[in-house]
Amino acid sequence: MQDHTELRVIRQRPSGTSRPFLGSSPPLESAAARSLYIHIPFCSHKCHYCDFYSIVDTRDRQSRFTKRLIRELRAIAPNAGGLPLRTLFIGGGTPSLLGLDHWEDLLETLRESFDLQEMRTGVGEFTVECNPDTATPELLGLLRCGYVNRVSMGAQSFHAAHLRTLERHHDPESVPRAIESARAAGIGRQSLDLIYAIPGQTLADLDRDLDSALALGTEHLSAYTLTYEPGTAMTARLSRGEFVRAEEDLEADMFEHVARRLSSAGLIRYEVSNFARPGGECRHNMAYWRQDQWLAAGPSASGHFAGHRWKNVPRLDEYLESDDAGFVAIVEHEPPDARRALGEWLMTGVRLAEGLDLDAGLARADEISPTIRADVCRVIERYASSSHLVRIGARIAPTEDGFLIVDRIARDLLRATDAG
Amino acid sequence: MNIRNFSIIAHIDHGKSTLADRLLQATNAVSAREAREQLLDSMDLERERGITIKASAVTVMHRHKPGATSDELETDYEAPVDEAGTHKTKNAADKADSHGDLYMLNFIDTPGHVDFTYEVSRALKACEGALLVVDSTQGVQAQTVVNAYLAINENLTIIPVINKIDLPSAQPDKVAQELEQVLGFPAEECIYVSAKTGQGLPELLATICDKLPAPKPSTMPQARGLIFDAVYDDYRGVIVYIRMFDGSIKVGDKIRMMGLGRTFQITDLGKYTPKPNRVPSLSAGETGYMVAAIRTLADVRVGDTVTLDLHPASEPLEGYQPPRQMVFCDFYPATDEEQRGNSFEELREAIEKLSLNDSAFTFQAVHSEALGFGFRCGFLGLLHMDIVQERLEREGGVQVVQTAPTVSYLVTTRGKGGELVEQEIHNPADLPDAGVIEEIKEPICRVDLILPKDKIGDIMKLCMERRGIYKSQTFVSDSREMLSFHIPLAEIIYDFYDKLKGITSGYGTMDYEIIGYEPDRLVKVDILINGDPVQALALITHKDKSEQRGRQILSKLRGQIPRHQFEIPLQAAIGGKIIARETIKAFRKDVTAKCYGGDVSRKRKLLEKQKEGKKRMKNVGSVNIPQEAFMAVLDTSED
Ligand SMILES: Nc1nc2c(ncn2[C@@H]2O[C@H](COP(=O)(O)OP(=O)(O)OP(=O)(O)O)[C@@H](O)[C@H]2O)c(=O)[nH]1
Ligand code: SF4
Ligand SMILES: [Mg+2]
Repeated sequence: MQDHTELRVIRQRPSGTSRPFLGSSPPLESAAARSLYIHIPFCSHKCHYCDFYSIVDTRDRQSRFTKRLIRELRAIAPNAGGLPLRTLFIGGGTPSLLGLDHWEDLLETLRESFDLQEMRTGVGEFTVECNPDTATPELLGLLRCGYVNRVSMGAQSFHAAHLRTLERHHDPESVPRAIESARAAGIGRQSLDLIYAIPGQTLADLDRDLDSALALGTEHLSAYTLTYEPGTAMTARLSRGEFVRAEEDLEADMFEHVARRLSSAGLIRYEVSNFARPGGECRHNMAYWRQDQWLAAGPSASGHFAGHRWKNVPRLDEYLESDDAGFVAIVEHEPPDARRALGEWLMTGVRLAEGLDLDAGLARADEISPTIRADVCRVIERYASSSHLVRIGARIAPTEDGFLIVDRIARDLLRATDAG
Repeated sequence: MNIRNFSIIAHIDHGKSTLADRLLQATNAVSAREAREQLLDSMDLERERGITIKASAVTVMHRHKPGATSDELETDYEAPVDEAGTHKTKNAADKADSHGDLYMLNFIDTPGHVDFTYEVSRALKACEGALLVVDSTQGVQAQTVVNAYLAINENLTIIPVINKIDLPSAQPDKVAQELEQVLGFPAEECIYVSAKTGQGLPELLATICDKLPAPKPSTMPQARGLIFDAVYDDYRGVIVYIRMFDGSIKVGDKIRMMGLGRTFQITDLGKYTPKPNRVPSLSAGETGYMVAAIRTLADVRVGDTVTLDLHPASEPLEGYQPPRQMVFCDFYPATDEEQRGNSFEELREAIEKLSLNDSAFTFQAVHSEALGFGFRCGFLGLLHMDIVQERLEREGGVQVVQTAPTVSYLVTTRGKGGELVEQEIHNPADLPDAGVIEEIKEPICRVDLILPKDKIGDIMKLCMERRGIYKSQTFVSDSREMLSFHIPLAEIIYDFYDKLKGITSGYGTMDYEIIGYEPDRLVKVDILINGDPVQALALITHKDKSEQRGRQILSKLRGQIPRHQFEIPLQAAIGGKIIARETIKAFRKDVTAKCYGGDVSRKRKLLEKQKEGKKRMKNVGSVNIPQEAFMAVLDTSED
């Protein structure tokens, strides 16, 4: 029995706030966002490992979605400051599932509301994620006309049995065809996604996947370790004992093997799970990891602007309904915070082969507190002495051994920013 | 004034708290504006888990014409909302007498879970009646039976209430038949209600007024009040909940606790309506709270009798059996790798404060080689243990490492002179040398299970695996039976309830009661990590199961102890003889090679969580053991 004077409601429904930090008039040039991410939330089937926000749409909401997205794009566009966008990434979900007429509307809006001249000339990067079986020549042609110059193709594996384990529905044969179609359409840059450490997969299986991927001659490859995310079907199946998870040692062997095999073919690890020929790095993702600013549109899309981080509401219905002069409801808004920003910069930077500009980092730390600077220094020295980090000129970067424990390094760096 | 004191009792989730909400609303004690679900469940923990942990006592006013037919009944007084929050009951009191006589209803919402039966028995001692609520979609369940018998043994008048009749799957008539079959209440006397829609509430209120007896008149002029609960409040000290049986007490009186012999001056008396509402005095038949500058709960004993210091009663009221702790575990302050975290003193403070609020758990300082200083605590059951841990963390602001629960054992040893000595042991670490042990006895429970008929075979098998002895089978209805077993408590404290729920798809219910201690072939299994025995992981188990249990625990530990920079051997041993072994390999990889794109916040939060997670580690030698590992022994599933 408690004192009943104080009765509190603890279950509060988190309600979206709109975004006070995104203006409807153009910001100063230096403050403009030069990157844009757009999330298309539809998939034809939910792959079992996937925790991206996407739905198998049974209610035919593509045209409502496209209309809403267009309103949102128009609302946020002034924050690009009228300057040319440098990178644009349309991901999902399965963007290639969006109907051709919707694509036409979307591309037209982008051309009208943003300056795409760098995309047109090829200096900028405009990527669309595609599933191999929905990337038709018609669609690819249309994308090309809208200045798309890069596709990211979800291959995951070339082995039908492993694709089945992942509940990934596509025919491995369709990947080379889709890459070929992209090239034929004039989309010059392509990337493939692979997943490894799939239950039952051997090192030899992985090697064959890498060979098949390399045979396609793409300039970029992402290779992800299968991650059991909470709430996914894969995780539920694992806990039901439907399969055995790859041993940690095998995962580690694979992680190292991927880097070796790809580098011998000229694709260098530039981030934990990303490999490219020199110059073929994904500039859009690099913008994320170097803590640049970007705008975001579509449900669940995350943005970073003027020190704010936020996420659009990750539910299609709410996305369609909320409409504050074109803006949508957001969740998980984090206002500017020097300490958080430093932590994030260290965390994402230490995952890059180019590493971090040490002096700049320490100066930032010093501004918050000398204790933080000292703690960050200590962590870096510790990992440098164990050869997990290495100094390259003015930068500090992970070694191959360092990549293997980069979460541990990032945790220690984050902890260092807690101090003082 | 007419007074009715009653408790609301039921199996877990059958709707007691919701019915209490409706009673508050129907009597206008709570306006529609203030109404919330399960209003009396005021602890955060209760609201999150949707269960009642503490009994709650409230007083409301109601007008009723004795013997009125149901169409004359009226409950909606349309009273204006009282912004000042003053005594809401004046709404009923102000009504013209033509609305009937004024009744003061004191009622107590009780918890339904088996671990909190003692809360129910306390509440019942303060009442003359009980509403026995049964869910019309679930029927009679194990705690329905147990709680009904508790009330019958206290000679209370029981009103059977069949709830949730708004649901399409409701079968009120069938459930009424079950009540008649199992407990002997005439089916036609059951009141059908929906605590959700309020349907049937007027009839229920009328029945409460008409059928429940008024409190017995005082048997003596001296004041006697039963303390049926006490809570600790940071501002006012201890608040004591009292049911007056004889005489009266008023603000300013000097009272004496008859059992403890201590005296205090009353500074405040009141009732919960459900807001605290001061009254000048409490007289025989009434229920309310008392504040008397009592500093700690140690100065109060629930079940004690309050009397006036100047005119004391000669005999106290019949009190309570103190609750029996049956499950024990250790709490240690959690620290991180650098040994930062809570101190033993902070933990002591939190435990002492919580014990002011929950007198049903016991604690005693202990020292363990691996874990340092901590407390060995006793609980009524597993859920109770869980809740104490959660409240310590939430309300006490400390993080604790908890060891796996054990039961209490009676161990007979032969002394040097050949004499036999029996001692009680709550901790496997305290077990004497196997050489001197003559006998180990363990607590045995009578377990009553109500199940769908088609699951009887599976449940029989489960009970046999748990060293159960079949006792009896009773007919409940065409589709359900009640089974009775004797099973060692140690076999049910782990996951028996989960297994029961799993096998019966949630339909099976159980209740248990300790009936005594019996000897068996029990042995202590030691667990060694990196060569060091970890007392906090030692367990007592049946000899025939020891090897299997040892293997299970090691494999769980292997999954839970993170890899270190070196290899860690794990062993299980009985008296120095290794019965199982495992190895945790040195770590190689700590990286998430995942596509997380622009969701930088999420990645950061994940890493931060893992960073926090480190706090709950204990160092044993050079090995960091996470909190969950100490609970590994809990999980008896194979893998
Ligand atoms: N449809 C319907 N649901 C009800 C009714 N009464 C209670 N419920 C629901 O049943 C669930 C359990 O109700 P509670 O009032 O918390 O049950 P309780 O008996 O107090 O539970 P414990 O305190 O945990 O023993 C809640 O989800 C209620 O909303 C009813 O009459 N109709
Ligand atoms: S296609 Fe991509 S986004 Fe859609 S479910 Fe599969 S992995 Fe997830
Ligand atoms: Mg309740």
